[in-house]
Amino acid sequence: MPQDQVLVGITEILGGVADINQAEITPETSLADLGIDSLMMVEVVVAAEDRFGLLINDDDWPRFKTVLDATRYIDQAAGRP
Amino acid sequence: MTEPPVRVGIVGAGIGGLSLALALRERGLQADVFEQAPELTEIGAAIALSANAIREFDRLGLAGELAAASTIPTELIYRHWRDGSRIAAHPVRQDDWYEKQFGAPYFGIHRADLQKILSGAFDAEHLHLGCRLVNITEHADSVVLKFASGRTHEADLVVGADGVRSTVRRWITGADDMVYSGTSAFRGIVPTENLPSLPDPHAIQFWMGPDGHLLHYAIGGAGEAVNFFAVVETPSIWLHDGSVAEVADEVPVASFRGWHPAVTEMIEAASSPVRWGLFTVRPLLRWYRGRVVILGDAAHGMLPHHGQGANTSIEDAFALAGLLTDARGDDLETTFSRYQALRRARTRKIQRSAQVTSSLLHLPDGPAARTRDAKVATVPQDYGWIHDYDVQQALQASGPAPAAHSRNEAR
Repeated sequence: MPQDQVLVGITEILGGVADINQAEITPETSLADLGIDSLMMVEVVVAAEDRFGLLINDDDWPRFKTVLDATRYIDQAAGRP
Repeated sequence: MTEPPVRVGIVGAGIGGLSLALALRERGLQADVFEQAPELTEIGAAIALSANAIREFDRLGLAGELAAASTIPTELIYRHWRDGSRIAAHPVRQDDWYEKQFGAPYFGIHRADLQKILSGAFDAEHLHLGCRLVNITEHADSVVLKFASGRTHEADLVVGADGVRSTVRRWITGADDMVYSGTSAFRGIVPTENLPSLPDPHAIQFWMGPDGHLLHYAIGGAGEAVNFFAVVETPSIWLHDGSVAEVADEVPVASFRGWHPAVTEMIEAASSPVRWGLFTVRPLLRWYRGRVVILGDAAHGMLPHHGQGANTSIEDAFALAGLLTDARGDDLETTFSRYQALRRARTRKIQRSAQVTSSLLHLPDGPAARTRDAKVATVPQDYGWIHDYDVQQALQASGPAPAAHSRNEAR
């Protein structure tokens, strides 16, 4: 799956969970600036897992600081055998 | 009553399995429950039922019976491991705070009492003891359970409520998804009169210290006993087959050497030289396969530090029963997928939060512990989302399935 498709998916999920217009979300946007706290982040993680069909380790996602961090993680995890 | 649209086979007569059986009956659906143990006996252990679960039992008319066997904690208190000082205290029964806040009470209850009340409310003829599951076979329009005795049972769908070591989960995922947490617990139930050093014996209290904590709350209709759970950050690897390991007599109390006398007195009074490994289930992408689905610890086994293992199983049970009301035998995947969508984020949040809490409860004295101590002052606000959850509201918000309203409508 191309990285821009992952970015579109993550942006849609974040927009939904944070209740924010997707046009305001860029790869550099920080998750904290979107108001995503650790509980909301679990909703993002579960929605991303369902959408991309892969598991995001609980030890990994607390390190996501920006939209791009989450996108790269999923892109790379999806490419793994 | 017309022929039930779905025949449900439930594996496991623990809190989750029995709750599901009752929740299905409320919806007019018939379930058969299969339990491997030859009788319903729970070894010495208690649970704390919170508002998110009790409001479901209340609708079934069970709140009075539960209250009679339970103790409502006076307060929730956090204490320093050595000097016993009160770091934070929050009202529970005091001023009726908890029930006013969350719409249902908070009960400390012996597991055996809870199981007895739940099984007593169910039909004995549909509760089958001594049935250890050995195989699941799927057919085009049914699923067959095979038990060690040779007995078989055909159902339209099967729900695995068989705990953290779930056989049904293994059938779904094809793997062993259980994880040892690196922590273990000593536990016991002690008559309150044998605990002269214990301040506030009817409160629910966390004693927090380096590499461990002790939690206790009172149970029984008059708070006549105290149930405790004392957690340590050992052993690093679990080398035993089951969840329970015998230890030398002195090990439990020696693990808390130097702690406040109330702590050591309680552990000593239980004189139970047994260690319980604490296991979780790694997050799963799918809680179902074909006609088979899981709930409770089988799906999301978690550390017990929010007291939500049983309570989330009860939530699962009532959510699944609500969705099964308009399930179609030839399209269970839609129902299971809705169930998972309703439950996976909620339980993952609590599972994750309990994991984080484990480390916070085990900090040595110092700056990190002081930050933690400031945080526990706002626990009722920070964790209200766990207790104010309402399964029926969540069901209604999730789509067209009707919520349960009255306790009699399905009988």
